[in-house]
Amino acid sequence: MLKDSARQADDSNPATVPVSGMIQALGLTKVYDDLRRGRFVALDRLTFDAQPGEVYGLLGPNGAGKTTALRILGTVLQPSFGSAQVNGFDCLTQPGMVRRQIGVISSNTAIYDRMSAWETVEYFGRLHGLDDHLLHGRMETIFRRLQMLEIRDLLGGKMSTGMKQKVSIARALVHDPPVLVFDEATSGLDVLAARTLLDTIQELREQGKCVVFSTHIMREAERLCDRIAILHRGRMLTEGGVDELRDKHGQSDLEELFFHLIRDAEDLAVASPHDYVWASQEAASLGTEFS
Amino acid sequence: MNWHNVRLIWARETRDQLRDRRMLFMICVLPILLYPLLGTTFMQLAQFMRKHESTVLIVGAEQLRDAPTLPPLIENGRFAADLFAAPHEAQLLHVEEQSAEGKSEADVIAEGRRELIAGTADTVVYFPDGFAEKLARIHQRLQNREPADTVQSEPVEELKPIVLFHSPREASPVAKMRVDRAIDRWMAKIVERNLRESHVPINITQPFELESIDVAGREQKQAALYSKLLPFIVFLWALTGAFYPAVDLCAGEKERGTLEALLASPAQRSEIVWGKLLTVMLFSVFTALLNLASMGFTAAFVVRQMSAAVPGGASLFAMPPLISIFWIVLALLPISALFSALSLACAAFARSTKEGQYYFMPLFMITLPLMLAPMSPGTELNLGNSLIPVTGLSFLLRGLMEGDYQRVVPFVLPVVVVTLGCCWLAVRWAIELFNQESVLFRENERFELRAWLIHLVRDRKATPSVGAALACVAIIFLVKFFAGLALTSLPSEPHFGLLVQVVLITQLCIVVPALAMAFLFTRNPQQSLLLAGWPRPATLLAAVALAVAFFPVGLQVGEWIRQLYPIDMESLADSPFAQLLQSSPSLWKILLLMALLPAVCEELAFRGFVLSGLRHLGHKWWAIVLTAVLFGMAHTALLQQSLAAAVTGVLIGYIAVQSGHLAPCILFHFAYNGLSLTLGHWGERLTKLAESKPLFDQFFQPTHDRLQVFSPAVVVTGGLVTLALLWWFHRLDSPKSAEERLTEARLQPVQRPLAQDLS
Repeated sequence: MLKDSARQADDSNPATVPVSGMIQALGLTKVYDDLRRGRFVALDRLTFDAQPGEVYGLLGPNGAGKTTALRILGTVLQPSFGSAQVNGFDCLTQPGMVRRQIGVISSNTAIYDRMSAWETVEYFGRLHGLDDHLLHGRMETIFRRLQMLEIRDLLGGKMSTGMKQKVSIARALVHDPPVLVFDEATSGLDVLAARTLLDTIQELREQGKCVVFSTHIMREAERLCDRIAILHRGRMLTEGGVDELRDKHGQSDLEELFFHLIRDAEDLAVASPHDYVWASQEAASLGTEFS
Repeated sequence: MNWHNVRLIWARETRDQLRDRRMLFMICVLPILLYPLLGTTFMQLAQFMRKHESTVLIVGAEQLRDAPTLPPLIENGRFAADLFAAPHEAQLLHVEEQSAEGKSEADVIAEGRRELIAGTADTVVYFPDGFAEKLARIHQRLQNREPADTVQSEPVEELKPIVLFHSPREASPVAKMRVDRAIDRWMAKIVERNLRESHVPINITQPFELESIDVAGREQKQAALYSKLLPFIVFLWALTGAFYPAVDLCAGEKERGTLEALLASPAQRSEIVWGKLLTVMLFSVFTALLNLASMGFTAAFVVRQMSAAVPGGASLFAMPPLISIFWIVLALLPISALFSALSLACAAFARSTKEGQYYFMPLFMITLPLMLAPMSPGTELNLGNSLIPVTGLSFLLRGLMEGDYQRVVPFVLPVVVVTLGCCWLAVRWAIELFNQESVLFRENERFELRAWLIHLVRDRKATPSVGAALACVAIIFLVKFFAGLALTSLPSEPHFGLLVQVVLITQLCIVVPALAMAFLFTRNPQQSLLLAGWPRPATLLAAVALAVAFFPVGLQVGEWIRQLYPIDMESLADSPFAQLLQSSPSLWKILLLMALLPAVCEELAFRGFVLSGLRHLGHKWWAIVLTAVLFGMAHTALLQQSLAAAVTGVLIGYIAVQSGHLAPCILFHFAYNGLSLTLGHWGERLTKLAESKPLFDQFFQPTHDRLQVFSPAVVVTGGLVTLALLWWFHRLDSPKSAEERLTEARLQPVQRPLAQDLS
């Protein structure tokens, strides 16, 4: 039973479909050892690509695997199976090069409490190997654009959530990467701060950057994303442009579409969990045991 | 490695720590305050102790006053002033008197116990009724010039006064000591008077005095004191100073959520570790030096105060000269590096600052004996000590501070090599931990035994994990330890059957945990025990040839180890089991028992289960060496044999990795043990042959003990053949673990991809 379902899963595995782009994720899978749940598949053969000048949205409820996918792209986590490339560099075997191509903004990462905004951004700029002249020029521009000049010398510990998020963005932008990853970046922000952030993402798209944006707020996705992938329990349920998805699933509203897809997937998962989630035993039988 | 990044990380972390008020208090303010505070408290306490008056209850003192022939013991309600070295000491004993009339000895003791426990008296002295009278009678007989045997007829044991004290109360032994001293002096006065009465010269009881001359100069005496004490204190502070910043820089960053941003930056994990390590090291050195300085100033102050009060105090305590301080600072650098790397590795493992602080005690308990060893009396720097981490450096520092350069210089190289080697290993360990996402992203999870046991079976992998391998070794240690306790109660005269039982139980203790874990906790026990498929026949032959070629080298290595760490070969050879092995007529039985059985059992456990697990570390040499060390430790309780076993273990581990099968390892182990046992069995005959036949003389040479080693020509030839065979194994196409393949892939040079040009 398990072997059959796995074979079916392999046949329909999107990892076999060739993709291209600034970001190429091929069958990304992440399996964790969990004391209660056993081998827990956090990400189940996720395959997608994103192009320069595009905002690619990863939508999903909590625990859908969005953060895991973006952490793999940021080389902070290693995939159990599958591969990912950023600007042609492999996330698993060339992590150092990947980190130079990417800027990560996440609600999970904090900024240093005992460093000022300027010092924090300068530190990361220098880690990217920028010389002082270029770095300071770029920092002036970023600080002006994000309206951060007044918090320039404020220590991280004394900043509000919005201010901290601005520092995170400046930190991610300072080396002018071709790829930017925003992981639930508007979480905890007030309306004004969230608006500034969304405007920044739009500007980045116009500059030709490839942006991967994860959120569970439909309006943000609708407004920003060129293409959307909806994830549930580590699996991609659907992918496409906003209008394309509305037509495909016969829903006028993205939020309604999201609810219907998640509800159906949840029903299926409860009814036959083995068929839904790629069985852990099969995942293990592939032989790689990085997790 | 990009040192620019290391410098950047170091500068940031240092600045960050300097802005942390709690850290500054711990590292800087506390040492500055601590020692002056301790010094002042010590002086206050010393003053208090000196002036504390003891209360002495004397029962039956009235008879002493009425005996005019006795020198005075009590005058004006105090002990007589001439019974003390300094007259003011008499003031420290407050005397209360009680009549002994009508009281038996038992009554006095019972009453005295009550007084002492209640604390109304610090000590009780009881002079039994008639004590003074008897002393007076002796005096009278001496005056009458009665013969000596008449004087001696007085029953001396009945003249025994009793001193009662209560040891758990601190004041009581102090009071007893003062009273003892006064009564001893009083007794000496009585003896002196008696001798004078008998017209015997006083010096008859002390015909000569022994004079001792310490040839050490004042500075050497001072150096002997601080050269033992200062390295310990400085090393202790170096560890403390390293640990707290390390916890903040690793566990603290994890807790605050800032580590992930750094991990996503272009800085490699090794650069992050080095940057943090240098920061921790800086604080470690700084803390130790600050403590040293603060302690020095406080000591100088206390010494000045004490030398005014205690004559000769200044000659005992003095500030160490500048050259000693220089040696301390020089030794601080490697020791701080070692402690910093160890602390960083422990802190990297912790999920939070709180958890990190829990790891301090185990680290402290491991390093403390190493730091204390040079302080134990009779220990000196030798080659064996110099190879022990921390201890060797501490000994070396002691020698340098004492100015004994000629003796310690030969040991500088081994100490430096061992210390730097340990530093490197600790840094590698920290980097390994920083590369493991299971360590970096560990989450707090409530532990449930049932869930954990289910998880172990349900989620088992094809081969054991690193944790399972280490757990297996821990279980083997534990089971062997308890089995060893049970086996020590066996009869002292063993017979061959008992030897069989002992060896069988010992080997079962090793193999059963490994087999059980392989079958219960892995999906592929055959692969876990390195028994999947068939071995290549050539590897079997090569393994036996390697054992034969390596045997002379192994014996020589064992001999070097014994020279380094001497072992009592006499008692070892005289042990009942060793005698059994020597005298047993059937060699084949011994070979089966002591060569084949351990070869199978130990190889299944170590090169099978443990090595398979440790290969998930991602570096085959780490796995081989770690397995060999664990094998050496589990092999025997004797350090010398453990070291020799570990060396051989590296070789067998390499065979296991390169051949991919356990059979060549078992054959090597069997052949090596077999040769060793055969040589032991035929040892005496071979010695005689070597002495009588010139041909044997070419192969063997006797050593300082009973063991044989091969002649240098045989050892060198064996070494060369060993190298050739190892080269052959090296060329084999060996299977790799997934982690090892990933490590290799990462070491490939970075190639500019096509997509870069397209973008």
